[in-house]
Amino acid sequence: MSGLRIVGAAWRSLARSKLRTFFMMLGVAVGVAALTALASVGEATRQETLRQFKRMLGTFDTLTIRPGAGSTRGMPSVGAVEPSLKFADGPAIAEGVPGVLRVAQVQQTFDLDVSYRDESVVPLVLGVSSNWADIRDETVASGAHLTDEDERTLARVTVIGPDVASALFHGEDPLGKVIRIADVPFQVKGVMASRGAGPGGSSLDNVLVIPVTTASKRLFNRDYLTTLIVQLRDENDSDRVADDVRALLRERHRIIPPAEDDFTVSSPRATLAQIEQVGSALSKIVTGVAVIATLIGGAVIMSLMLIGVSERRREIGVRRAVGATRADVMIQFLAEAALISVLGGVIGIVIGAGGATVGALLQKLPPAYMWSMIGGAAALSLAVGVVFGLYPAWKAANVDPIEALRS
Amino acid sequence: MIEASHLSRTYTRGDGTPVTALRDVSLVIAPGEFVVVRGASGSGKSSLLNILGCLDTPTSGSYRLGGENVSALSDNERSHVRSKRIGFVFQNFNLLPRATALENVELPALYTGAAPDHARARQLLEHVGLGGRADHFATELSGGEQQRVAIARALMNDPPLLLADEPTGNLDSAAGESVMQLLTSLQREGRTIVLVTHDEHVASFADREIVIRDGVVASDTRRRERGQA
Repeated sequence: MSGLRIVGAAWRSLARSKLRTFFMMLGVAVGVAALTALASVGEATRQETLRQFKRMLGTFDTLTIRPGAGSTRGMPSVGAVEPSLKFADGPAIAEGVPGVLRVAQVQQTFDLDVSYRDESVVPLVLGVSSNWADIRDETVASGAHLTDEDERTLARVTVIGPDVASALFHGEDPLGKVIRIADVPFQVKGVMASRGAGPGGSSLDNVLVIPVTTASKRLFNRDYLTTLIVQLRDENDSDRVADDVRALLRERHRIIPPAEDDFTVSSPRATLAQIEQVGSALSKIVTGVAVIATLIGGAVIMSLMLIGVSERRREIGVRRAVGATRADVMIQFLAEAALISVLGGVIGIVIGAGGATVGALLQKLPPAYMWSMIGGAAALSLAVGVVFGLYPAWKAANVDPIEALRS
Repeated sequence: MIEASHLSRTYTRGDGTPVTALRDVSLVIAPGEFVVVRGASGSGKSSLLNILGCLDTPTSGSYRLGGENVSALSDNERSHVRSKRIGFVFQNFNLLPRATALENVELPALYTGAAPDHARARQLLEHVGLGGRADHFATELSGGEQQRVAIARALMNDPPLLLADEPTGNLDSAAGESVMQLLTSLQREGRTIVLVTHDEHVASFADREIVIRDGVVASDTRRRERGQA
């Protein structure tokens, strides 16, 4: 029999017992739908995480240096970090390490009251060097960013995020107004453009920046930094530059082995890879569950096929009598199992992709489809049909035609 | 057509004891003969028919079909022999219930490797007087009609040998009569027919009668010259 006729015959045979065919397809369809939906939702989430990171960092071609050996997590505050990272480390890296484009200095804290008249908020307060906005691709919605002049003169000026602007000013134009940061007056010289949500979905706009020099001398009274942002000339150079930066800082901080670094160099790519690893561990579990569901579907196919074989013994006997070989019978039953499973798989993919689309839209994310997983699910359903069809098909092929035709 | 010499068939019962169904049966059937095989149940006639139909192989002895020794063939090769050279007609028709008359007739063509010849299948249905029933399901047909569909199916691959096991056993006498007429006409076309029956009237259609008793040929009588009904 030709391939097309085999599939045609299998189709007709399945069409004759629709209810059983439905149940045989059900398990595989559910498993494949779960695989497709979960993988696609996962992919949509992963892409959104990537976008959030991009929004938070502005750029991926950077290294971030923080004080301390890296055991602390979360957002460092200038009052709570080791005083190991000095202002002078910034220019030293910019001049001493090849491949470094520029270095921004940052002092940050997030526990200061910022007020204007009766309104007050507690935003992230960043003291930044004037190149910070450029490195992070920050733009202003109105006014201007901090300048070298502001930095040199310890100017009491600030650029505020849109969340701070709306909370303090309620639509009033903030430019030129004087707000108080921990009771120190600062003049608003700009409002930042919105960056939207960062990782975890929290707003990136509840922030204000002041010159890092002003922060250090007039607000925090600290001579060390919470962060250095090193921008690379070539993104692919980040491992080598990180090593050079580490060596330079160890020398500058007079760290002699076996003493450990008193700073941590990290790259956004590495952080992102860590986050994706957590995500992929989760998705492995979920994928495992869906694969098990598909395998259970395969077991259902096998048991119903076995019942089918014993009910169709006479049919098998007739086919053998009129010239079917064992192989012909085997192929017929295998084709039925494979066809059921693949049809179940296709239905599952359609349902799963539909579910993923609805899920993504509900989360207000652009839908994404993980085609490799969908292709894998299709292949899995074919494999399930063939593997779980094998034993029933073998049973069918070995029905004794003499026995089957008696009675 | 058929040369069987010293055929024996021994089965092993569930408890391990051997049972001899056929013992040293030799017979020659010429092309175009209509032979009836009679015998009580358990006489071994079904075992003989299974071997003649290449569904089973003899424990010893040889069976030559159309000059070829088919008793030594593999399961696969015997399938091909059944496909091309033997047509079966059963007591209980054995049509596929959820397939149409036409699909049933075409069934043997599935296993020849050639493209299905729908025209030939329709023509065969016409030939057995069921041209108008081609698209009816087997379950919608009367017993006599089902048996005629089964005969058309047996003819699909144009085999020279037809084996019929009690073909009228489940039919009323009128339907049985028409089935026997049909088989007789097939003999006139030159086909060899071997028919197993209990029925004396059915046996009267044959040229020759072989009686099997206890696994051996008890008698072999020529009732009339070939085809002289």
